[in-house]
Amino acid sequence: MKKEYTCIVCPRSCTLTVEEKDGICTVTGHSCKRGEEYGKNEYTNPKRMLTTTVKIKGSNLRVLPVVSSDAVPKEKLLDCLDYLYGLEIEAPVKLHDVVLENILNTGVSILAARDAERME
Amino acid sequence: MTGINDLFLQEMEKLSLDPASVQLTWQDDILILSGCLKCWQQVVDVGHMAAKLPGVKKLVNHLTSEDAPKKEKRDISTYYDKDEIDRADVVIIGAGVTGCGIARQLSKYNLDILVLEKEEDISCGTTKCNNGMIHSGYDSKHGSLKAQMNVKGNAMYSQWAEELHFAFHRTGSFVLAFDEKEREVLRYYLENGTKNGVPGIAILSGDEARKIEPNISDDAVEALWTPSAGYVEPYEVALALMENAIDNGVRLRLDCEILDIQKEEKKAVTLITSQGKIHCQYLINAAGLYSDEIAAMLDDEFFTIHPRRGTLVIYDKENKGKIHTFSGQAPGAYSKGGGPQETPEGTLLFGPSAKEVPEKDNLAVDQDDLDFVINKGMYLVKNIDRNTLITFFGGNRAATYHEDFIIQCSEKVENVIHAAGIQSPGLASSPAIAERVEQLFLTLKPDVTKKEDYNPIRREKKPFRFCTMEERDALIKENPLYGRIICRCETVPEGEIVDAIHGKVPARNIDAVKRRTRAGMGRCQGGFCQAKVLEILARELGMEETEVTLKGKGSNILKERTRQVEEDE
Amino acid sequence: MNKRQVDIAVIGGGPAGLAAALKAKQEGFEKVVLIERDKELGGILNQCIHDGFGLIRFGKQLSGCEYAQRYVSMVKESGVEIYTDTMVLEITKDKEVYSVNQQEGAVCWQAGAIILAMGCRERTRPQVGILGTRPSGVLTAGAVQKYINIQGFLPGKKAVILGSGDIGLIMARRMTLEHMEVEGVYEVMPNPGGLRRNLEQCLNDYHIPLHLSTTVVRVHGKKSLEGVTVAKVDENRKPIPETERYIPCDLLVLSVGLIPENELSKQAGILLSPVTKGPVVDQNMMTSVDGIFAAGNVSAVFDLVDYVSKTGEAAALGAAAYLRASEKEKGKPVPVEAGENIAFTLPETVEPKDGKVTFYMRVKKSMEHPEISLTCDGKTIKTQKLLVAHPPEMISMTVDWKEEYTGKLVMEGREV
Repeated sequence: MKKEYTCIVCPRSCTLTVEEKDGICTVTGHSCKRGEEYGKNEYTNPKRMLTTTVKIKGSNLRVLPVVSSDAVPKEKLLDCLDYLYGLEIEAPVKLHDVVLENILNTGVSILAARDAERME
Repeated sequence: MTGINDLFLQEMEKLSLDPASVQLTWQDDILILSGCLKCWQQVVDVGHMAAKLPGVKKLVNHLTSEDAPKKEKRDISTYYDKDEIDRADVVIIGAGVTGCGIARQLSKYNLDILVLEKEEDISCGTTKCNNGMIHSGYDSKHGSLKAQMNVKGNAMYSQWAEELHFAFHRTGSFVLAFDEKEREVLRYYLENGTKNGVPGIAILSGDEARKIEPNISDDAVEALWTPSAGYVEPYEVALALMENAIDNGVRLRLDCEILDIQKEEKKAVTLITSQGKIHCQYLINAAGLYSDEIAAMLDDEFFTIHPRRGTLVIYDKENKGKIHTFSGQAPGAYSKGGGPQETPEGTLLFGPSAKEVPEKDNLAVDQDDLDFVINKGMYLVKNIDRNTLITFFGGNRAATYHEDFIIQCSEKVENVIHAAGIQSPGLASSPAIAERVEQLFLTLKPDVTKKEDYNPIRREKKPFRFCTMEERDALIKENPLYGRIICRCETVPEGEIVDAIHGKVPARNIDAVKRRTRAGMGRCQGGFCQAKVLEILARELGMEETEVTLKGKGSNILKERTRQVEEDE
Repeated sequence: MNKRQVDIAVIGGGPAGLAAALKAKQEGFEKVVLIERDKELGGILNQCIHDGFGLIRFGKQLSGCEYAQRYVSMVKESGVEIYTDTMVLEITKDKEVYSVNQQEGAVCWQAGAIILAMGCRERTRPQVGILGTRPSGVLTAGAVQKYINIQGFLPGKKAVILGSGDIGLIMARRMTLEHMEVEGVYEVMPNPGGLRRNLEQCLNDYHIPLHLSTTVVRVHGKKSLEGVTVAKVDENRKPIPETERYIPCDLLVLSVGLIPENELSKQAGILLSPVTKGPVVDQNMMTSVDGIFAAGNVSAVFDLVDYVSKTGEAAALGAAAYLRASEKEKGKPVPVEAGENIAFTLPETVEPKDGKVTFYMRVKKSMEHPEISLTCDGKTIKTQKLLVAHPPEMISMTVDWKEEYTGKLVMEGREV
């Protein structure tokens, strides 16, 4: 099996070719290690970073931007979002405070993407 | 009347239209047209043709066309059951520049005056989409009411501007001629304008004109010069008038649409409105595009308004100083519409165009209008960069088929005055129109007395954008809200927005704030400041942000909150 | 009115201004002020909650907010004087900066050097000539992004996006993740305007169709948006009437380009480039007015924030050198011509002086295995080979500059 992907690791957007033979994936077209890894992942278990906002209480912000500590499996992305949309956190928070650990058993944590001050 | 019927048939043939498609009916001295034609332009052509037939002084055109959207009949039956909510000596329908001018004119009398406006703000109809020109009066046909009102109104503007403190630049205007045929038109204008009493009217050579206005096209050979022409920001004039009227006791109801009018013994007595019943002793119809519909509610339908759409184009104020006076062109290659001018604010304005359209409330801009306005403007003047375009928009003129103003007491309803068919040069004429309505009113109610404390002066307030840094410093020290700039393109501080929201004529939506403060009117068109203005509106008016609208009911900007987590309190 | 002396005044607290202010402070200047019109630092990055920032600058994929926060924290610790909610209304060529804010009223800052970092604004609906009515529900992508990511509101339920630049693509995904329906992305050009990775992760991941050579011609709805008419365009970008199609929707998102914000620059009489719409600068990011520098999107619209930060640093170093130089004389800048296939280079001029000069540029058309070369009087100074080059993706090239490069300088790109 041979598949082509556009690498999303960096703006260079390399065109990757992933070839699978006997369970072993070979990536070509990449220009960095991260690209090679992305190619393999994309073939076997595609993942995406999760970024969104969550409701925050008692803050100068109306919503808090958050980011996942690592990429989450693509097929779980929407479930993760819906879970987060039901969440409300309390100010203050600091950049990279853990907002939620191990979201939907993915092993990935959700982190604050910025500081949010307390404001009553 | 058979003579007219024969003439009508002949004229229909000239227009290559089937005479059987139009029915003529006479009701007293009113000619009524009905039937259905193929396209809207034919409806208007037939209307204009019929109005010109000898002996046709009043024309009602009920013709429809296949390409016009069908009008849906609204069920208003429930409104008749509503309670009376208000009463006034004089009710004025419509808060455009005409209605606002009349309100202010009558506010010097001991009268309880109520202005009703169906939109959420004043000047939302023809007044807001207007090039702001105060015409000198050379082109309105001598002998018409328009000609009379225009020249008189123009002269009165200096006093209005002085008393009401709105921007008024008496810059003069040109009509350019590029060939012999157009020069002939200029000579006609000179003669007509002279008869109308236009001060200082003269024909200049192209070079003489370019001495006054260097960016006039090099190809213009002659120009009609009328130094009395000028410019205003039309919504600013309406606002100034209404604020002064309110200072003198006039009351204003926004969002109040007239649905029907009940009469008793040849008098209009009760207005059925969207808010409830309103009782009046006298009624003034200044309903602009809808003035024919108001007349129909009074069983006094003797004219028809056909909306004529104009498209206007605005260029960045970085062009400021390139053009000082208006430059139009003698009808010829382009038959109608305006040309380039600098607004008092310093932006450059091209247009308007002129196009007959079936819908009064449809202000859509079409490609042909836009191309026409831009190409014509670029032809008339030089050194303007097309890429400095900021925005374009449309507005509808309230034209009758006789193409003249109707300012008179109703012949059928004793306590009603119509101020209808006010299209170009209606803005220029508005001081004279207000005065004429005042005179008519005095014939209806000669015993009315003047107020002792009438104050024609509206307090001057210099906009922040025109202040020096020292003046700004002082303003901020007085009110810190002036230190937070909301609209960066037009330098509008939060203080001015809050003032507008709580003004005498409150600004209740984004566009209303824009018209008063210019927030969102600049080059980014609200891209940066709309969200902030929206937040301020919600805060000041105590409503949800999802309730804030762009231009009144049904134009909400935000639909819902993204995170609707249940409050755990 | 208050008058204050400062060494360096930075106007704008987005990524360019943050980097410039930080660097200026690190260069040892006592009084560095950073003036920001919004209520907090960070600029547009604050509404960019998506990731993809910082790989060059921080060696790590960050979201826009994280990138901003890192810089904001550093700037706050550095001793830069920060003025938020403060708007600069005027600057002069004598390096006076006039600002207003609520606490202090109007202030005149007499600066030794000014760094302009006002960023850019979005092109609007009238500028792309969309016809029809003017209802609510027509917004620029940046405004939609702010409403959703900062204010926490949805401005519609079903959206059509015009423009396939990165912001348009990012918003397509963002709205989808907020459970809005994105009917499609329409692009008047025959090629996508955004990075390929964004086509992949923003559109393809969510099966959002991209319609090339197609545009929105008309908006419908008197009060609020009811729908739009789209049409294919011919090779001259004129809509083809027979291809018109009506799409019901309540939101039209415009991602139709960015324009550097140079109203202040114009006041100071700074020369602007007709191509980039930003000030013509040399390698120190100095504009045509001595002592006034430009950084980031005010000088040319960048695709990567990392480059924006770098130009901020370059401007700060330039301003530092300018302030240190005893005599303010410098060599006459030599123009760099954008030659074959090159849309523009930044800087557009180079002061003849030994040192490193980083050029940022865009190509005019997509190329496979291109060679970007800089020549002086026909002699090659530097050549850089690339795998591919696409117009939306900026190219950066650093050259070891020699004082003697004063001849005819040409930047070119060719497929080999």
